[in-house]
Amino acid sequence: MLGISIFNGLVYGSLLVICASGLAMIYGLRRVVNFAHGALYMLGAYIGYTLSIYLNFWFALVLAPLAMLVIGMLLDKAVFRPLQDRDPLSVLLVTFGLLLVFEDLVRAVWGRGNLSIDVPELLSSSVELFGNPTPLYRLAVIGLGVGSMVALWAWLRFSRTGLYVRAASTDPLTTAMMGVNTERVNALVVGIGTALAGLAGVAAGPMLSLAPSMGGDVLVDSFVVVVIGGLGSLGGALVSAILLGQVQSFGTIYLPSLSAVLPFLMMIAILIWRPSGLAGNRV
Amino acid sequence: MLHFKYLLWLLAGILLPQIVGSATLMSLLTQAVIYALFALGVGILLRQCGLVSFGHAAFFGSAGYIVALLMRDLEFGAGTAILLTLFALAVVAFLLGLVVSRIPGIAFGMLTLAIGQTVYLSTLQSRELLGGADGLNIAWPGSIFGLDVRLFYDPAGMFVISWVVTLAVIYLLDRLFRTRFGSITSAIRDNEERARFIGLNITLPKALVYSLSAVVSGLAGILSAIYTGFISPETLHWSVSGMALIMTIVGGVRHLWGPVLGAILFFFVKEYVGELTDYWMAMLGAVVILIVVFAPNGVSGLIAPLLERKKRVTKTVVGKQVEAGS
Repeated sequence: MLGISIFNGLVYGSLLVICASGLAMIYGLRRVVNFAHGALYMLGAYIGYTLSIYLNFWFALVLAPLAMLVIGMLLDKAVFRPLQDRDPLSVLLVTFGLLLVFEDLVRAVWGRGNLSIDVPELLSSSVELFGNPTPLYRLAVIGLGVGSMVALWAWLRFSRTGLYVRAASTDPLTTAMMGVNTERVNALVVGIGTALAGLAGVAAGPMLSLAPSMGGDVLVDSFVVVVIGGLGSLGGALVSAILLGQVQSFGTIYLPSLSAVLPFLMMIAILIWRPSGLAGNRV
Repeated sequence: MLHFKYLLWLLAGILLPQIVGSATLMSLLTQAVIYALFALGVGILLRQCGLVSFGHAAFFGSAGYIVALLMRDLEFGAGTAILLTLFALAVVAFLLGLVVSRIPGIAFGMLTLAIGQTVYLSTLQSRELLGGADGLNIAWPGSIFGLDVRLFYDPAGMFVISWVVTLAVIYLLDRLFRTRFGSITSAIRDNEERARFIGLNITLPKALVYSLSAVVSGLAGILSAIYTGFISPETLHWSVSGMALIMTIVGGVRHLWGPVLGAILFFFVKEYVGELTDYWMAMLGAVVILIVVFAPNGVSGLIAPLLERKKRVTKTVVGKQVEAGS
């Protein structure tokens, strides 16, 4: 019982960390609180759905995030960059408008009904875990979460572009003066953040059903994650996503009447205790 | 002159139901005015503190629930229950405001979203006390504040009542924001650090505005609960807070009547664009983007200079006369 709830918590935590790290990266560089992030997650899931029908799941898992990367870079060029000198609240409201547009766009293309992505054959079996049969797919989602976080960390830590990203998130002006094209770095980061939302969407497809409103819950949970972790901090997002996954999983079993409220109570408590989140102002 | 303008608007509101023939249009207008009051609540927080709330549905919806509980379980009269509810909202929001208004702009929006969803989800789960997803039917007595309850159910009657309440709230807020309190809150909004340096307490005024905006939103929630005779958890959902915010942004907050105009425009777009296309939400989203980018003061900010041009001309003439005389 204990093992299985830790496991379930990790599955949801992995999805959240993929989605929320995108949100944290976009905030870290662009200082944009992206209310459309949940809608981008949903859009990624729907693109993945279509790709999984015409090709197969594995192509969807790779191509949908790539499509979202392009959408993200366009978003940066068309919206975030022209508005970078406006106050953060206006940009926040613009992303709120985008959320409404994306949701209706998906309704227009894919309809209002619930859809679901088929579990790929390779992962459709179950394995014995803590004495319970566990779908292999869920195990793979944890793997995907770990894999993408390691990849992201390695990219930021060891590549030249990663160095630029870290520099620009600390001090964009000085970084630009050193000859780094920060606009290009920003576009890439928004692209990757959007791609991560799309990746989480495709990965969620076979577990949760697809609906135009599916972004709402993830958006709210991702907000909780980045606020608890510290806005713009990837490490903080990682820790708090895992924490939130566990809180939800254990809450459903031991405190069912409070389970839905627990993440918010946790967020309120942490914001009051440390207004800048667990990680403070570190990146 | 100022009072004359209010009287004129009051008269216009009372006469409007006589002119409007269509029942659908009337009920649309009634809904619009109730939500106008709600948007006004969200708007004053943005106007006086520069804070964007994504969780005001918590006050809008819970006001109806509290009134319903006070009447059902504690057997209060409707009038007492309504006044007690507003008082309770003021106190709770003030205490909450002391904490949340310390959180800077961006995180404030996320925090209010979280608080709103907490209220929504716990209401959804409370099946015995609050009826869970089904909501509550509210048994209103025969008369509320001496007014026949049928007047509240009738769209035309409710329109006039909500209109009068909204006008009164605008009048009182306008008075309040012209006092020292109004100047202090604007000073804090414009530069918190400087306001602190000149010795102002910055938390208290913000918490007071937060409380005030919660009471105004709660008042709208009570009107809505009387009009429909019913309260459901859907009124607490964050999309409702989002709607109120859209109305506020579209209308603009520089003028207190901005959110009211925004709410009326919102319902007209919903009704008439909704007939043309299923995708009116996308249209609305596009409108929000265009307004934020090109007209940050909203529709009211666009039309106010047109309305005021005439007045300014007379003022300069008077000024010149004074100059010539002296």
